[in-house]
Amino acid sequence: MTVLMKTLGFSVLLILTFAGVTYVLPQMEGAAPEEEVVNVGELTMETFIVMGEQLYQGKGTCALCHNELGRAPDLLALNVTSTSLERLADPRYQGDASDVEAYLRESMLQPSNFVVAGFGTKGSNDTESPMPAIDKPPVQLSALAIDAIIAYLQDKDGNPVTVPLPVEAGDSEVEVEPAVPAPAQSPEAVLAKFGCVACHSVLESVATLGPNLKDIANRQEADQIRDSIVDPGAVVGEGYLVVMPEFPNMTIAELEMIVEFLAMQTGEKS
Amino acid sequence: MIMDSRYWLQRSCRHVPLVLMIAIIGLCSAGFLSTALAQAPEAEQLNITVEAEGVADESSATLLPAPTPQRSDYPNIGASSRNIVWVIAQMHLFFGALVLAVPIFVLVIELIGFKTADDRYDDMAHEFMKVSLTAYAITALFGGTLALSLFLLYPDLMTYLMRAFGSQVLVYAGLFFLESMLLYIYYYGWNALRYGNRKWLHLTLGLLLNAVGTTLLFVANSWTTFMMAPSGVDPVSGAIIGSIWEVMKGPLWNPLNLHRFIANVAFGGAVVGAYAAFKFLSAKNPEEKAHYDWMGYSSNFISILAFLPLPFAGYWLMAEIYAYSQQMGILAMGGILAWLFVVQAVLICTILLAGNFYLWTGMARSEGSERYRWAIKYIATVLILGFLVWVTPHNVIYTASEITRLGGGNHPVLSPLGIMPAKNIAVFLMLIMTFLSFQLYRRADKVITVSWQDWGNALMACIYIVAIANIIFAGIYYGYFTNTVYKVGSSVIQVMSTVVVIVSGVVIDTLMFKGAKNLHVSWGKVSNRSQYALFALPITFTWLMALMGYVRSSVRTHWHVYTVMQDNSPDNFIPTLQTVGNMVTLVTLLFLAFLLFIFWIANLSGTRQLPPLTADRNPVIAESAT
Amino acid sequence: MGVKVRMEKSHRVLIWVVALSISLAAFYLMDQFVMSMQGLPLGWDLSPAQ
Repeated sequence: MTVLMKTLGFSVLLILTFAGVTYVLPQMEGAAPEEEVVNVGELTMETFIVMGEQLYQGKGTCALCHNELGRAPDLLALNVTSTSLERLADPRYQGDASDVEAYLRESMLQPSNFVVAGFGTKGSNDTESPMPAIDKPPVQLSALAIDAIIAYLQDKDGNPVTVPLPVEAGDSEVEVEPAVPAPAQSPEAVLAKFGCVACHSVLESVATLGPNLKDIANRQEADQIRDSIVDPGAVVGEGYLVVMPEFPNMTIAELEMIVEFLAMQTGEKS
Repeated sequence: MIMDSRYWLQRSCRHVPLVLMIAIIGLCSAGFLSTALAQAPEAEQLNITVEAEGVADESSATLLPAPTPQRSDYPNIGASSRNIVWVIAQMHLFFGALVLAVPIFVLVIELIGFKTADDRYDDMAHEFMKVSLTAYAITALFGGTLALSLFLLYPDLMTYLMRAFGSQVLVYAGLFFLESMLLYIYYYGWNALRYGNRKWLHLTLGLLLNAVGTTLLFVANSWTTFMMAPSGVDPVSGAIIGSIWEVMKGPLWNPLNLHRFIANVAFGGAVVGAYAAFKFLSAKNPEEKAHYDWMGYSSNFISILAFLPLPFAGYWLMAEIYAYSQQMGILAMGGILAWLFVVQAVLICTILLAGNFYLWTGMARSEGSERYRWAIKYIATVLILGFLVWVTPHNVIYTASEITRLGGGNHPVLSPLGIMPAKNIAVFLMLIMTFLSFQLYRRADKVITVSWQDWGNALMACIYIVAIANIIFAGIYYGYFTNTVYKVGSSVIQVMSTVVVIVSGVVIDTLMFKGAKNLHVSWGKVSNRSQYALFALPITFTWLMALMGYVRSSVRTHWHVYTVMQDNSPDNFIPTLQTVGNMVTLVTLLFLAFLLFIFWIANLSGTRQLPPLTADRNPVIAESAT
Repeated sequence: MGVKVRMEKSHRVLIWVVALSISLAAFYLMDQFVMSMQGLPLGWDLSPAQ
């Protein structure tokens, strides 16, 4: 029995020692990225740049590799603008950018277009970059987020920021977007998502490329409206050309929503 | 002798099992090699690589995308789902490792017993199998519970995984029938298939048992590595577009297969070593002490032997993780999970110190060890220094005043010790020193008599010296004075140097021991202190396994299946180090409790209650006996 | 007797010199081989050639 007690005691003591090690070391908790909706209308250049810095250190995970350890160019130590100009002037540069902003964006979206000497994947002779595309998973930053980071990188060395401040319409979400775009939740959202307002007069918009939809219910039944969306070339209104595109990514729910909505558009003010 | 047909039949029969064994080994090796080398070409393009085009394939629109559960979609049974699955999964992995590992070295020991006609080996192998059998049932219980808990608590993930793996899971279940059959015949038929041709049959059964067990390991590994680095899926939607083979053979599959296979053997050897140590300390007479001392030594031998190549297998796994996703790799060792590798340093150094300590104290069994006693303090010094370097972090979070006093964000002297080149030097020197302890132990009970011993010893010593110099040179020069690519590539030099020392050590000693004079080894004459080293080993291994298992799981961050299926459960954050320490301690204590139960059962099956005595102090005899 | 001791000592030195040379050569060649297999060639002084 004493043998059991002694060996058990020793084992438990050893286990608790290991646990103790985890108690004395620094504690950190890693939260999963939260969905954060940024009110684009309220952004100023200062807050836009600050957002860029937060993204650089946080969700963008840039600082993981872009530091003094040598895995990737140390962006915080370099003058990003002047270095970008040097890179553009490099004879090896074969990319499509012609200015600093475009170069920085290209570096994030297509990192292998130009790899700085000495930083390529092992064995690729600096033709392949180990950096992931920032607009794809797992980083998956939106265009707005990428712009914010570019603004930050330009500003931090005191250079002019060429990235325009984002405007209202379009993507106003900064954080996590699912890989498959979420279905629109209302007829207005469907109209916006598929760009109907570009050619048709509907809601508040005026456009004459396609038939006026504000009173479409007077001319067509729901089934006919559905056909026009699903197969635009089947029935073309008099005087209009066949330019309406197809919408293969429209979900059934979205289609039914817009058909129902348009079937109520009689031109009367409600 | 009449050379009739019966004679020839008997002679050829003798070789049939051998041929059968060779055929099976050959098939298994061919199978493994072909899986390791086979390229699934489409899989390369389907892998989620950083260069992959994001445009979904036309056909994927008709295939089901990965589920996107929201927080409210996750079942909640009132306790943290992650913690529940964590405990059950880790217990299953502990016992799975044990029951897969034990038959591996049992087979080898049985073979040695057969070749040397020494009954001790055969009896020891049989005794080890008894431990494994009880553990087998517990493994299955935890496996079933794990499956139930996963389906209950993570139904969407399981829907996706079942979609990915399809009927492969039924193959997995079917293999368990085969495994059970072979296990029971192998154990219960031990004495019935003891000699001659039957022994060959028994050995073949053992080999088949290990082949099935290894297949089970590889199949289960494919689920793990799919979640970390999915292959055979569309990068945008997660739809399964590859064959089952493409889904299984991801970039991390074979590295994990190798790492777990070797680690299982090291772990299994350590656990049975604790069993032997316990029996040693409870032994009632010198014969028992000698028997269990020898058993403990054999277990430790297996464990340390398997432990030596483990860092290389682990390194390969880490390198493949970096190659698959730089981000994942850096998160593990340079990001939020980096402190876990400091804890790992503490654990591995404990393992190495315990293993070495056992060898040093064990040397006292033979008087020939006096020649080598002087080396022990130097080996110990290198081990301690190596540990200190390994455990040093690159930098810590400093306060503003500390940064001012330091003159920067990094400590001028200690910071360089925190990156891989220094750590590689430390770990490879520690491995070489451990092998040296081992080599000295093996020489301690022999007097070498070959004529060329001066040459042999000089060559061995020079190999050690040059290898150590090479490791230090490669680490410092390429590590601090050249670019990243050469720095990373130089670790292969260090690996190869260590491998050269180990291989040449084994070869040279085997040749030098021919005709050597064997000194007396006093089995059983070893301090009780040394047995505690045999307890420290499995405890540390267990804690380390749980810790590294957590790292492997956590490196996926907020993804169930990395980049393909997001984790939106309430537990999708990375917990603090203390939480991790608590959970790992909990599973280790649980494992200890179960292990005690298993040892007790193994003991119980060998005890027999004496029949009660009658009034005249004679045992009751049944009527039929008279 | 003195001659025998001298020869023994120089014989021992010879053994060590030969053993050391073999080891150095073997590890040097291994270094070159291992690095070139990874596409990282080395010069004669083991410095990076790229």
